[in-house]
Amino acid sequence: MRLLDYIDNSQASCGSATSMADAKVWQPAEVVMNPEQLERAVAEGGELSILVVHSKSDSAKMNFNVGQHGSLRLVEVFLGDSFVECNINQQADSECDIVMIQVAGAIADYTINLDGGHADNRLRAAYVVGDEERCRVSLRVNHNVADCTSDSLVKGVAGGKAVGEFNGMVYVAQDAQRTDARQTNRNVEIGPDAKIITKPQLEIYADDVKCSHGATVGQMDGDAIMYMRQRGLSEQQARRMQLEGFVADVISVNGEIGEALKEELVAKLEKL
Amino acid sequence: MLSVKNLHASVGDKEILRGINLEVKAGEVHAIMGPNGSGKSTLASVLAGNDKFAVTEGEVSFLGQNLLDMSIEDRARMGLFLGFQYPVEIPGVTMANFMKVAVNEQRKFRGEEPLTAGEFLRMMRDRSAVVELDSKLTGRAVNEGFSGGEKKKNEIFQMAMLDPKLAILDETDSGLDIDALRIVATGVTKLHTEHNATVVITHYQRLLDYIVPDYVHVLYKGQIIYSGDKTLALKLEKEGYDWLINQHKE
Amino acid sequence: MAEKEIIERIDSEYKYGFTTDIETETIGRGLNEEVIRIISAKKEEPEWMLERRLKAFRHWQTMKLPEWAHLDIPEIDFQDIIYYAAPKQRKKLNSMDEVDPELKRTFDKLGIPLEEQMALAGVAVDAVMDSVSVKTTFRETLAEKGIIFCSISEAIKEYPELVKKYLGTVVPHTDNFYAALNAAVFSDGSFCYIPKGVRCPMELSTYFRINAEGTGQFERTLLVADEGSYVSYLEGCTAPRRDENQLHAAVVEIIVEKDAEVKYSTVQNWYPGDKEGKGGIYNFVTKRGLCRENARLSWTQVETGSAITWKYPSCVLLGDNSVGEFYSVAMTNNFQQADTGTKMIHIGRNTRSRIVSKGISAGKSQNAYRGLVRVAKGADNARNYSQCDSLLIGDKCGAHTFPEIDSHNPTAVLEHEATTSKISEEQLFYCNQRGLSTEDAVGLIVNGYAREVLAKLPMEFAVEAQKLLALSLEGSVG
Repeated sequence: MRLLDYIDNSQASCGSATSMADAKVWQPAEVVMNPEQLERAVAEGGELSILVVHSKSDSAKMNFNVGQHGSLRLVEVFLGDSFVECNINQQADSECDIVMIQVAGAIADYTINLDGGHADNRLRAAYVVGDEERCRVSLRVNHNVADCTSDSLVKGVAGGKAVGEFNGMVYVAQDAQRTDARQTNRNVEIGPDAKIITKPQLEIYADDVKCSHGATVGQMDGDAIMYMRQRGLSEQQARRMQLEGFVADVISVNGEIGEALKEELVAKLEKL
Repeated sequence: MLSVKNLHASVGDKEILRGINLEVKAGEVHAIMGPNGSGKSTLASVLAGNDKFAVTEGEVSFLGQNLLDMSIEDRARMGLFLGFQYPVEIPGVTMANFMKVAVNEQRKFRGEEPLTAGEFLRMMRDRSAVVELDSKLTGRAVNEGFSGGEKKKNEIFQMAMLDPKLAILDETDSGLDIDALRIVATGVTKLHTEHNATVVITHYQRLLDYIVPDYVHVLYKGQIIYSGDKTLALKLEKEGYDWLINQHKE
Repeated sequence: MAEKEIIERIDSEYKYGFTTDIETETIGRGLNEEVIRIISAKKEEPEWMLERRLKAFRHWQTMKLPEWAHLDIPEIDFQDIIYYAAPKQRKKLNSMDEVDPELKRTFDKLGIPLEEQMALAGVAVDAVMDSVSVKTTFRETLAEKGIIFCSISEAIKEYPELVKKYLGTVVPHTDNFYAALNAAVFSDGSFCYIPKGVRCPMELSTYFRINAEGTGQFERTLLVADEGSYVSYLEGCTAPRRDENQLHAAVVEIIVEKDAEVKYSTVQNWYPGDKEGKGGIYNFVTKRGLCRENARLSWTQVETGSAITWKYPSCVLLGDNSVGEFYSVAMTNNFQQADTGTKMIHIGRNTRSRIVSKGISAGKSQNAYRGLVRVAKGADNARNYSQCDSLLIGDKCGAHTFPEIDSHNPTAVLEHEATTSKISEEQLFYCNQRGLSTEDAVGLIVNGYAREVLAKLPMEFAVEAQKLLALSLEGSVG
């Protein structure tokens, strides 16, 4: 099932909030299509799970404030060439889990502020672009206070004459000791005219920190291809399957919506 | 079923296989033993078609066809299965999806219709019982985060799914504890029929307690220097390879 | 050992902070076409060189200061700088005995093996003091092999064809603000040419030193390794301690022809300023090499000095199968700021590059790695591996990593990794317990951390670099 079908089907059931704890089948408490402006606050100890879909060529501003001990799960999907700025402010002991996919020449610009101790942020994102599309994922994670954790993984595939860009920054303020931050960007180019630009940056002003980042372009495991061929898959099938696995790996939500997101990625890969 | 004649293969300038001769018939179990670096794993890789190795001389026929002319996947589709010593992790690719494509490719090769989703799921369930594979593992990515024992069980599970004519098991026993070894070996034995053949590559006799070989071959410096029956393995376990190597030198 | 204590002892004294009291000849402050004509005339340059300088100057006037670096640069008044200073001793020297004794003492204090021991060390030195090359050694030995190693001023006069052919081809005067300035006013520097198929029998070394007050040092180095040749080139820099800031804007150009190999090692120890951040060298350097087919260029740098460092030794991998390497240890203490790294531009097929950067920040310093790996469209099978590590000592300093990967070819395999760490109290405690002083322990840990890079330096240099790291860190840890 494709994502929009899923949304049509699930409109009825929407609003019956499923808890994030129920990891088996995730359903958003709220589905928002093409917002221009979106503000949500998660109250102290509260929860919000939200699916935001951008299917048009427009721009949006989103602000999320996650109160103490609050938790936010945001699933954001770019089906159209939107430009979206998203700010997330997290208070002490809050958690935020973001899954984002881009299958269009969109720009997603995230600023995450970890403003209270022991706030935790996790982001998993993938983009697939083709033709002459140009997409960008900007991600700035500000560790403004001590004892916060963040872990971001962004994967990209560019085919055709497309350009995929990742612009990452982990900022650790002077007093933000015991920060544990990780940021990873992995990319694959398909075809001779695709282009990947990646800038994984660190700006660190505290010494007792664990920060690491990594970026790769064009590294798929040759042994895995060989393994799959030994089981009877053609080289092309093996590569396709590996690529699907490569991007689908970021989708940590289960249930129908997770499947729908994977479908979107696979459908886009087929067009490359 | 498999006939290997004077097979030479090298990696770069280094010749590793220096004239292997081997005949395997349906219903047989062969064990290949030998000291480290003798070329056992290379033989398995070359038969599977790994292009890291160049075949420089010799012939291999499999089910009457020239094996060396075939792609890796066609060899697999014809029924040659290699159980990897180090099964590869494939992030993001689920076992179920992987096996579905593999099984259906094999069926297509044989001119059969692909399995329906229901048939396939039933098959997965049945075959995973062969090696007592936790059904949760089939929902995970291929080999990713599997323990050593799980990876080896998973190899035998895939063997059960693909029902090969010839299975070459490359050190399937390495890194297994006693229980896992028993499960894996019992699985292999269950899958053995008079219509298929198994070649096990191993360092240790203990695997051969479960998988009883008809023939034991000793590989040394790229050649089979001695062949015998199952008692040879026991003798090697006790006395090592030196006596054979010395005899070979003379 | 408490961390506080570790930090409080940041108190390193600049070992090379003496000045040489010899007469220097300078021209007035400021920069205009007239000054450039004077520089060119004093150096008895041919007309074509003057024309090049004027062209560069005119272009420079249209340029703006680059501001993208992670540096806080105080305003520099380019009209308040003396653009030419030479020891007032113009006659040609025939032997070491003729060198001004005061000058010789300076070199001795610097520890440059300029005399007999040099033969043993196998080092040929082209010492540059305040812009004019004082003495080159081993020229005859080198001349036998057809190797040219002299000051750039001499090269302009004696080998004009070589200079014309190569100067400005890798770093054109239009490249950036400081490169343009250098092209206009460069005073001296080294020229080196290794003929086809020649393996240079010794390490070539230049020692730069800024002496006169208020002068800018604008040296220019041109190194050409012709087909199939090999050279290892060492560059060391020191400057005396002064309260005011001095500007250093150098350009190094390297041409590595087909099948040739160049190793270029730098130990940069310009005066970093005092504990309060007063004084120190502003170091804006453009270094770049061009590699033809099968050529190999390896940059190794140990940067411990300068108040501000702005420097990105780069490789343009133009020829198929060429290889570029960059190994760097950059250490900052007190108020030092460094923004350094490399660019690897893959243009040819099967080109490979490797980047290993080790940053060490202490005191209130800011240390940034900035790198670019670009794979052009036709650069099939390009490979890059980058490893950028940062070590922080104390919680008032900053360590930053600004890499960029830019790939236009699907066959490229590029990998960048970065980590950040600190010297842990557990490590220090462990060392202390085994009887090491904290200072020794830190020296040990830092040298271990930088080992991969130090191992790339020629032996004599590696020992000096190790001492320098320990010296620059002196007291930065309790």
